[in-house]
Amino acid sequence: MTESVLRARGLTRRYGRGSGMVRAVDEVDLSVPAGESLAIMGPSGCGKSTLLHLLGGLQRPTAGRVWLAGRRLDTMSERSLARLRRDSVGFVFQSFHLMDELTAVENVELAALLAGRSPRQARRRAGYLLDRVGLADRADHLPSALSGGQRQRVAVARALSNEPLVVLADEPTGNLDSAATLEILRLFEDLRTEGQTLVVVTHDSRIAAIADRMITMRDGAFADDSRLAVTAPVHGGWR
Amino acid sequence: MAGRLLLVCRLLVRDLRRRPIETILLVVAISAATGTLTLGLALNDVADRPYERTRAATAGPDVVARPHTTGQRALAALAPLTTSAGVTGHSGPYPVAFLVMTAHGRTVHTVVEGRDTAPARVDRPVVTEGTWVRPGGVVVERAFADALGVRAGDEVGVDGRRLRVLGTAVTTARPTYPYAGWIDPDSALVERGGLVWVHRADIATLAGARPLSYTLNLELADPDAGAAFVDSATTLHAGELSTWQGIAEQDGRLVADAREALLVGSWLLAALSIAGVTGVVAGRVVGRRRRVGLLKAVGAGPAMVAVVHLAEYLVIGLAAAGIGLAAGLLAAPALIRPSAGLLGVVDTRPPALSTVVAAVSLAVVIATAATLVPVVRAAFASTIHALADAATPPRRRRWRVRLSRRLPVTLLIGIRVNARRPRRARLVTVNTLITTTVLVAVLMNHAQDEPFDLGYTDLVDPRAERTDQALLVLTVVLGVLALLNAVVTTWTAVLDARRPLAVARTLGATPAQAGLGLGVAQLLPAIPGVAAGIPVGLGLYTIVGPGELRYPPDSWLLATALGVLLVGAALTAVPAMVAARRPVADALGSTPA
Repeated sequence: MTESVLRARGLTRRYGRGSGMVRAVDEVDLSVPAGESLAIMGPSGCGKSTLLHLLGGLQRPTAGRVWLAGRRLDTMSERSLARLRRDSVGFVFQSFHLMDELTAVENVELAALLAGRSPRQARRRAGYLLDRVGLADRADHLPSALSGGQRQRVAVARALSNEPLVVLADEPTGNLDSAATLEILRLFEDLRTEGQTLVVVTHDSRIAAIADRMITMRDGAFADDSRLAVTAPVHGGWR
Repeated sequence: MAGRLLLVCRLLVRDLRRRPIETILLVVAISAATGTLTLGLALNDVADRPYERTRAATAGPDVVARPHTTGQRALAALAPLTTSAGVTGHSGPYPVAFLVMTAHGRTVHTVVEGRDTAPARVDRPVVTEGTWVRPGGVVVERAFADALGVRAGDEVGVDGRRLRVLGTAVTTARPTYPYAGWIDPDSALVERGGLVWVHRADIATLAGARPLSYTLNLELADPDAGAAFVDSATTLHAGELSTWQGIAEQDGRLVADAREALLVGSWLLAALSIAGVTGVVAGRVVGRRRRVGLLKAVGAGPAMVAVVHLAEYLVIGLAAAGIGLAAGLLAAPALIRPSAGLLGVVDTRPPALSTVVAAVSLAVVIATAATLVPVVRAAFASTIHALADAATPPRRRRWRVRLSRRLPVTLLIGIRVNARRPRRARLVTVNTLITTTVLVAVLMNHAQDEPFDLGYTDLVDPRAERTDQALLVLTVVLGVLALLNAVVTTWTAVLDARRPLAVARTLGATPAQAGLGLGVAQLLPAIPGVAAGIPVGLGLYTIVGPGELRYPPDSWLLATALGVLLVGAALTAVPAMVAARRPVADALGSTPA
C-alpha cells in the first residue's frame, strides 16, 4: 500500500461555545496516499474549507491530529508550520489571492524567493511553471490584465513553485466562468496524471469527476468516501 | 434642502458616535496644532496687560531719563528736562550705582537706586512684601528677588556690605529682571542685572569711590507722546530716554523667544497634524467605502457625498479649534508667570479676535487639507466598486519589486508592503522629518550659551527659562502627536497588509518574517525623514535663532536620530507582531479579495 502523504485522526474544529458552538469539522479521519487526487464536496458551510485549512496548517484544530509527510502539524510552532507550508504544501484559493501589484511571473516566483532561492533560480522556475500552465506569453502581465482562468492558472503555477508534496485547492473554479473552469480542469487533470497529490475542495462535480476519490461532507463530518474510476480525460484531444 | 441638511447631520452624528477613537485622534491631532498656535499668539496679549495694570498702580513714568555721565554732569544734563514742554511732573533725579549683590552664595549685577522714604509723585513702587526703604535696608525688585530666592528679612551683601532685605516691590520705571539696565562703568556696555532700592542716604556709602549716576522719571501731558518728546529732547546728548512703551516692550522680550519658538513650532505641528489627520481620514474613508456606494446608489451625487464627509471633518476641526484655544489660553499664564515682575493676575479672557481667527483658520485648513483628496476621490468613485467594498488597487512600483527580489525575506516584505501604498510611506517620512527637526532645534537651543551672563552669575536667565519651558511644551505636544501618527500609520499599514502578508505566510513566510517585514516597512521611510530632519532642524534654528550659534555635538544628533528610529521601531513592533500572529485563514477570509 502507498504511504499516506496526508493523514488526520479525530480532526475537530469547533467555533464558539455552549449553545452557540459550531462543529465546523467533527472528528474526521482521513488518509491521502501520495499521488492521489481527492475531491471533497458538500454543501456550503459543511466545513470543507476549514478542513482544507486544517490539513494545510493554516488553522489549528481544536482536537485531533494531522500528519503531513509523517510530521505532526497540530503540535508544530507557527515558524515550523510556515517552513512546512513553504516546502511541502501548495495552496490554490477560490479568489486567487494574487498580489495585484506584481506581474504573473513575479507572483509565481514569490514562493521561491520566500524559500530563499536566488532571484535567478526563482525566475527560471517561475518561467517554467508559467509555460507549463500555458501562460508564458502573459508572464509580464499584471493580474488585472488577466482573465479569471488565467489568474487561477497563475495561482496554480505559484502553488507548484516549490515542488510541494501536496496541492490543496479551495474552490479553485468557484469564481470562474465555464471556459475558465475548463482550463483549470485540464490543468488539474495534467497534475493528477503526473502523480501530484491533490486535495480539492469543490462544489463542481466536473472537478470531482477527474479525481481518484471523492469525499462528501455534511455538518463537519464525512458522509461518503468513494473511489472513482476516471472514465474520460477532460481535455480529450486538447494539446 | 432641509431634508438634505437633516441627512448630513444624521450621518455626521451617527458616524462620530460609531467611531469614537478615530474622532478623538482627529480632535487631538488638530487641537495640538491650534493649542500651540494659540499659546504663541496669546503670550503677547498676556505680557501687555499686567504691565499696564502695574503702571497704573505705581504711577509709572511716561519717560525715564538716564544720562551716561555721572555726578554733577549728569544732574546738569537732566535738569532742563523737568521744565521741558509737555512735562507735567517728575520724580528724581535719583542717584544710581551699578554694583554687585550677593545672596545665598550667588553674585549678580545689581542696579542700586537711592530713594526717599516718602512716596514720589511719579514712580511709586508698590511693595508686595515687607516694607519700603529706610536706612540700612534694601528693597528688591520682585522678579529679581524671585530669581535670587530672597525674601523680606533675609540678609544680602551689596559690594561687600551686609544689608537686611526690607521687602520686595514692583515698578514700571525699569524693565523687570534681568533687563534692569546694568551699565559697566569701564565700558559703558549695558548688561543684564536686577534692580534694588536703598535709602538715598545709604547709596553714597555703598558706591564708595565710584561716581553716582542718576535717573529721572517724567510725567507727560500726553502719555502717548513719549516718542515725540524723546525726539525733541536734545539736551541729553549722552544718555538714554525710555518711553513707557519701550519699557513694556522690553518686559515683553522675556517671552519673545518662547513666543517665536511656539509660533514656528505651531506651523511644524500643523504639518504633523495634517500628516496624522490624513492617515486617519484615509483609513476612515476606506472603512466607509461601502457607505459611499450606498449613498450613491440611492441617488446622492458626488457633491452630496463630499458634503457629508467634509461636514464631519469641519465639525471635528471646529471642536478641535475650541479645545486648542482653551488649552492655549489656559497654558499661557503659566508660561509667562508675570507675577514675578508685574502686578495682578493674568487675564487672558476674552482672547484677542485675531487669535481666535488664527486658531480656527488653522483647524479648518488642517481638516480640509487632510481630507480633501480622499473625500473627493470617494465622491467620484464608481458606485459598483464602492458597493463591492473593494480596496483601491495598489500601484505597481517596478524598480522596488525588482530590487527587493535580491534582498532577504524581511526586507523583501517590507519594501513590497511600502511599494503598495507609497503615500502612507511618505506620511511616515513627514512624521519623522518634523519630529527630528523639532528635536534637533531643541538640542540647538540647549547647545547655546549665554555669552553675556557667563562669569558673573549662575542665576537662571528667565528669558531662557521661559524659552526652555515653551520648547518643553512644544516637545511634549509634538511627542504625543508623533506617537499618535506612528500608531495610526502602523495600524493602517497592518490593516492594509493583512491579505498580502497572509498570502506570504501561506507561501511559507514565518510570522517573524511577516512581522519584521511590517516593521521594516515603517522603519525604511523613517530613515530619510530622520536624515533630513537633522539638517532641517539645524537650519531652522539658524534662521530663527540668535546671531552667533553653537552646534550640539555630533553624538547628541546621532543619539537623537537613533532614538527616533528606535521609538518608531518599538511602536511598530507591537501591532506588527500582533498582526503576524493572527491565523492566516482568518486574515484570508476576513479581507475582501
